[in-house]
Amino acid sequence: MTKPSTFLVLGDKTSAGTLAIISLSRDNFLPLTLEKSTGAVDGYLEGATLNTRFGSYPHSTLLDVPWGSQVRASNVDTGSRGKKRRRDATDEDTLIASQDDDDDSTAANAPVKKAVTAPSGFIYVLRPTPELWTTSLPHRTQVVYTPDYSYILHRIRARPGTRIIEAGAGSGSFTHASVRAVYNGYPRDADDVKGKVFSFEFNESRYEKMQVEIGHHGLDDLVKLTHRDVYNDGFNVNGESPNATAVFLDLPAPWEALHHLSRRKLQKGGEEAEEDSNWVSPLDPKQSVHICTFSPCIEQVTRTVTELRTLGWVDVDMVEISNQKINISREKVGVNYPTEKGYNSSPADVLEAVTKLKSLAERNKDTQRVQALQTGAEGPDSEMDLDSTPNRENQPSNSNGAVDDMEKPWMQGRLVHRPESELKTHTSYLVFAILPCEWDEEAEAAAMAKWPCGNEKKTIGNLDKQARKEEKRKMLEGKSKKQKKGSDTQTTQVVVSAVATPTTDTA
Amino acid sequence: MSRNTVQPNGWVAIRLPSEVTRVLQVVPNTTISLGKYGSFPSNLIIERPYHLTYEIQDKREGESFPRLRVVPGTELNADKLADVSATESAEGDDVIEPANGEELTLVDESGKVVARSNREVIDESARQTLTMAEIDQLKREGASAGKELIAKLMLSHTAIDQKTAYSLAKYKLLKERKYMRRFTVLPLDVAQLGQWMLVERDASKVMEMRQEMIGLLGCWADVHFGGLPIEGAQSPHGGRWLAVDDTGGLLVAAMAERMGLLHAETPEEEGASTDAAQQEQNPELQPNEEAGTAVTEPAKAQRNRPKRPRKDDLDDHYALTNSITLIHANSQPNLSLLRHFDYDFSDPNPPYPYHPLFTNLLPISWLQLLDPEADPTYAEPAPEVDSETLASWKTNRRANYHRKRRRWARTRQIVDATRAGGFSGLAVASTMDPISVLRHALPLLAGGAPVAIYSPTIEPLTQLADCFSISRRGAWVSNPPAEAEGKTTTELENWAGTPDFPINPSLLIGAQVQTSRARRWQVLPGRTHPFMTERGGAVGFVFTGWRAIPAEGNIMARGKFQRKKPKTG
Repeated sequence: MTKPSTFLVLGDKTSAGTLAIISLSRDNFLPLTLEKSTGAVDGYLEGATLNTRFGSYPHSTLLDVPWGSQVRASNVDTGSRGKKRRRDATDEDTLIASQDDDDDSTAANAPVKKAVTAPSGFIYVLRPTPELWTTSLPHRTQVVYTPDYSYILHRIRARPGTRIIEAGAGSGSFTHASVRAVYNGYPRDADDVKGKVFSFEFNESRYEKMQVEIGHHGLDDLVKLTHRDVYNDGFNVNGESPNATAVFLDLPAPWEALHHLSRRKLQKGGEEAEEDSNWVSPLDPKQSVHICTFSPCIEQVTRTVTELRTLGWVDVDMVEISNQKINISREKVGVNYPTEKGYNSSPADVLEAVTKLKSLAERNKDTQRVQALQTGAEGPDSEMDLDSTPNRENQPSNSNGAVDDMEKPWMQGRLVHRPESELKTHTSYLVFAILPCEWDEEAEAAAMAKWPCGNEKKTIGNLDKQARKEEKRKMLEGKSKKQKKGSDTQTTQVVVSAVATPTTDTA
Repeated sequence: MSRNTVQPNGWVAIRLPSEVTRVLQVVPNTTISLGKYGSFPSNLIIERPYHLTYEIQDKREGESFPRLRVVPGTELNADKLADVSATESAEGDDVIEPANGEELTLVDESGKVVARSNREVIDESARQTLTMAEIDQLKREGASAGKELIAKLMLSHTAIDQKTAYSLAKYKLLKERKYMRRFTVLPLDVAQLGQWMLVERDASKVMEMRQEMIGLLGCWADVHFGGLPIEGAQSPHGGRWLAVDDTGGLLVAAMAERMGLLHAETPEEEGASTDAAQQEQNPELQPNEEAGTAVTEPAKAQRNRPKRPRKDDLDDHYALTNSITLIHANSQPNLSLLRHFDYDFSDPNPPYPYHPLFTNLLPISWLQLLDPEADPTYAEPAPEVDSETLASWKTNRRANYHRKRRRWARTRQIVDATRAGGFSGLAVASTMDPISVLRHALPLLAGGAPVAIYSPTIEPLTQLADCFSISRRGAWVSNPPAEAEGKTTTELENWAGTPDFPINPSLLIGAQVQTSRARRWQVLPGRTHPFMTERGGAVGFVFTGWRAIPAEGNIMARGKFQRKKPKTG
């Protein structure tokens, strides 16, 4: 079996060969597969190294530390190995170069240079979660972000053990979130049925990249990725039904694929297709199926909804999620604040304004007096007067005590919040619907035989006045009996629903 | 996996044509009454699949109960689909032009008619020629599940020909909501229960927590199946989550659902599932005194009930992995909503087979967590009595003795494991100050563990986020408070809090506050728009972050940053 995914199986520490998410700064995350190097890599004597503008980090310093650790930057010689390492394009070249190094130089077998801690710079190593992956993954398509997928997975009842169909794997954000939702252990063997994601991708290069990613993340046994045009070829994998109970369609034209997601073979538009004994439904025949389609345009929604209704889906519901991230800061307004960025040195309240105006007026008066003196009687005395003008620094501190906190900028000002300056106002419309399982006469007859009707004793739910009175009478009777007998058997005779009869419901 | 059919004595939600939901327990052999929409025997929905819409039919000759008809989805959607073909003609239907002899029109300056008065539509009863008595009569007859009544109502509406296609559809929908004798049976899961509590029951009891928030909280706290127990392991391992829940158990239920703990596993019945076997699946249903709910279980289910495996009183009771540790503020946690999932927390000795939460939900009070020696249950040692004395005791006393020992052992196990820490995540929906919660909960989390805190209002979360502001974090490192001097990392983890530093700010990174809101739309051909009204009240906010393990000693950031020089004057 492959190594279990760090997304799902929670270890304490980082280890070689697994994905970690590096938190460089706020909202700046970087996915990184940690490597254990035995020699110089890429010309770095310390082995594989992560270079950021916050310093250099040899993987050896990131390995075998508890998740969430703050790691200091190291002094790494980045100069002598040439220019700044270019991404992707030169990846192969440098790789070959380093292999050559390994072959012909003795340095390769020499112990790796131990990393020397740098005086400044640090990062955090975080355990990957679908949320972190969503913010840091390489974008191939539009990404389904956390506010959307958290709501979708909740609504389509993706729980441990669920088998879910996802079409339009895209960048894999939803894939990672859904595999976490349905995960209830790795299957022990081929016959072991566990929660699984059946993912379909039409674009070949995206499919290939995605397949590699899934392998790296240890999700091979939990995600079945298929390269497929689902509009024409449906959702069965190797002719077998995924037995799905939840479906997520992130396709340009979901209505083209919906007829495949039915209980019996249908054509587009709900017409029953010719019998085909080989046809199997991709849905679990014994359970209701929840679907969600994800489309940015309202026209797509209209067509999808019409097709869903034609095909007999019920509870069709459309919502749009609007998510706001909120900035929390301290607003520092007051005359005593310095005229620096982040401060506003205008008066904080009316009192401050009045005080400030008063002192200004006084100063003006003083200046005028001085000027009058100067014009009237010039002499050395006037300088003395100048000195006696009230000094700004000797002014009494204002009421909000800003001066006391000057040493603690984090305590200054008033705590305020506002949405972030850039808002995502629209992602996509989410269409939800449910397809109940089929229920035929035969099944009904069997259930009817097992649960015969006609001997109902009590009424539950919404009682009319008469029934309530009757019940109350019985209850009182029961109580008086109970008091006589001293047993509580009668209380169990009262059946109350949670809603309907608030008078007796004590919940 | 949740059950796919309505279980006898199980809880379901029944949705009525008026969009009102009733939550009730389907007791076999009773009549379920839906008020004006009629009543039917409970046995008619037991062991039928969920999400079916039924029509209450007229009683058959010689039968004392009405039968139900399953309304297929295509029939339910027929009206909405019919509009599609009607759209074309509807567009030609002139709403703007005045009808003949119309006395009230809204005219703009140029004299062009802008809209027709819809006074006659408002005054419905005047236009309806059927009298109240006649309507009542029709209702009583209840012919073909109310369809006939609605047809008659439409026919006897004098102004029906004046209605546009759209207003006609609206009129029909209005009448259907009022008279159609239909209902839909829905499974009672967290989404359904949450929605019902929020919209219909009492939103304040669940802290006005919307579906969006439940989803966000679960995802950001990374709550998922925590793995199977490892053979031979003695200490807690795998995924264990910490929860603080003041929503009556809704948060715990949501977490349990994500971990696969909420819905009791139904033992897979082999083809020959008999009555007796079926009824035995529900012994976990307890007579719930609190709700006055009765279980009228057939007597035969009492025999051959599987025996509870015997264990020593002091054996470990709780699961070591895939567990929820619930920190509560009272001596008992409030988990009343869990009874809808057949789990009664107040019963310390439920019958076998156990609900998964019985072993995987670990309740601990704040006192037990912070000062266990002050808690009588934890501090007093388990009573020890030799077996001879025990044998001489009466059954009652003996049972009491065992109960006490078990309680002591369970408390020990929970308290010791919780205080050892190492939790995989924290989810909070509490009325308590989040700063105080996090101050004590953060040290218990493993490195990198996610934190998600819900609050109906933003103020508590802004204060919390401010504890981790950049300048405060910077000050903690560059200019540590006098109290922190010379303390070890462990001591700093349990930082008691000062006015300047309410929490050790280096223990959490990525502090962020967000809100999310789902806006519902009506999707009908030619009439697609957002709903006109929605539930107001609390919007709801979620604070998220990750537990960090700070490097020891002084540490400096690198990169461009502005140095703020505190200046006075």
